[in-house]
Amino acid sequence: MPMPLFKPAGDSAVAVIFGDKIDESINKKVHAVANAIEKASPDWLIEVVPTYTSIYVYYDPLKLGYQEVLTAIKPFLSAEPRGEKSRIVEIPTVYGGEFGPDIEFVAQHNGLTVEDVIEIHSKPLYRVYMLGFTPGFAYLGGMDERIATPRLERPRLKVPAGSVGIAGKQTGIYPLESPGGWRLIGRTPLRLFNPEKDPPTLLQPGDHIKFVLITEDDFREIYREEWGEGND
Amino acid sequence: MIELSRVSAPTAIQDLGRYGYQKFGIPVSGVMDEVSARLANYLVGNPGDAPIIEFVLRGPGVRFHSSAVFAVAGDVEVELNGIPIEPWQSHWAKRGDVLEVGTLRRGVYGYIAFAGGILCEKILGSCSTYPRAKLGKPLTQGDRLKLGYALLTGKEGKRLPEQLIPRYSNKSEIRVILGPQLEHFTEKGVETFLSSAYKITPNSDRMGYRLEGPEIEHSERGADIITDAIPLGAVQVPANGKPIIMLADRQTTGGYAKIGVVARVDVPKVAQTRAGGELRFKAVSVEEAQELLRRRERTLKAVEMFLKEKARAYSIKIGEEDFLAFVEKEE
Repeated sequence: MPMPLFKPAGDSAVAVIFGDKIDESINKKVHAVANAIEKASPDWLIEVVPTYTSIYVYYDPLKLGYQEVLTAIKPFLSAEPRGEKSRIVEIPTVYGGEFGPDIEFVAQHNGLTVEDVIEIHSKPLYRVYMLGFTPGFAYLGGMDERIATPRLERPRLKVPAGSVGIAGKQTGIYPLESPGGWRLIGRTPLRLFNPEKDPPTLLQPGDHIKFVLITEDDFREIYREEWGEGND
Repeated sequence: MIELSRVSAPTAIQDLGRYGYQKFGIPVSGVMDEVSARLANYLVGNPGDAPIIEFVLRGPGVRFHSSAVFAVAGDVEVELNGIPIEPWQSHWAKRGDVLEVGTLRRGVYGYIAFAGGILCEKILGSCSTYPRAKLGKPLTQGDRLKLGYALLTGKEGKRLPEQLIPRYSNKSEIRVILGPQLEHFTEKGVETFLSSAYKITPNSDRMGYRLEGPEIEHSERGADIITDAIPLGAVQVPANGKPIIMLADRQTTGGYAKIGVVARVDVPKVAQTRAGGELRFKAVSVEEAQELLRRRERTLKAVEMFLKEKARAYSIKIGEEDFLAFVEKEE
């Protein structure tokens, strides 16, 4: 792999850029290097944020200047992804109905039946490329373009936590109740973000996830276990 | 213990931020104006990162259920039991006293620090409030807060030298380090960014300040990037060409090209500029920005020593300019 590009991202972060396209091998390298830096935890390090193709290394400029940080990062660039198999996390999901009010639209938009949409969406293993945007949100790769659907023109003011949606060629899960413009096709009772847990998020970069169909009764039972009574 | 006897505007506990969890998508949050908050803490003898009350524009009323030493940071009227007192000073309050903090004459964020800091249950290593993810809650009337233990004797009556009181104006020059996605902008676009005045719109909050002004032209690469991280002070430019400065509660990652990142020393200036206020941007190198930060930290360190009576302050006039010099006391 060629030498990454370094760019200052303000006076307290450097962007270490490994490529300019979304690609599994580039992303694996990103996480390998980010993990190596984090593990060494040098005293100038504040934190690392690995993304699709880059690592933002946040540092304390009172301890180390920009050029010195570059020098300090270089030894970590040789870190290689380990060959171990990635974890597969099953995401129990109810599709359609009140759980996924936009599923008919997604079907119609793509000339499919609702059953086709469920079949196409629940078939692949999706790779978690990175977490970001909001606590516990996983950027997933691998959605079949046959179910790609543009976002809502008017975002909903309230999308329940666990909602599974489609935005363009992307699919994702809302970890928290929030406003949102994704087309909702289903919902999982799992809690993707829990600040009392370590790590606080269910999904980790490099995981693969598989959506697994469940019934509404299963949903309620798992929901109670995950969120406790009377929390909706 | 203290009690919020009146809350008239968004008010919350903050510290210097929640670090180490951005990789899980958890925003840093923390105080919007690091300098005012740290000065308020130093005034009451706390370390700079002690949990503190942050308010927007209008301060709260506070009833003391036990003795405490406190300081208010901000250009604001303050009363203790109906008697006017000064901000930027530490004061003694006894059980039953009521503090009333008015409306900021300038700036957006004000702070109240208490000796010993506010006791709070840390979530993921921090007391910073981030309501969107239920990491703490905004404060409401009737909330009672415990204060950390501190020896109060001798902590009251500390005063910040006049020259060091932050003065926020509604027209500021903001230094930025260009990049990291400079290639997403034309030369003309960068020129526009660095030569125009941008107004802060009312659609601005702890997450970011949206600016109104001449459109910044993108290059053929466009406004969208492969999603990457968003540092504090990042200036994102979406397709409409209007910049957004990302602040304490910013999302950790995003997909808009960043034309620059505000130098950390100027982030408080941005945060304290009100809607309608005007910003102009000036490019500096990363080395210059870091030197400015080192200088600021030397000053803050000296102030902390001075307030702990480990240093003396001298006013010096050289030509037309006034300087403040700190000299460490010998033990």
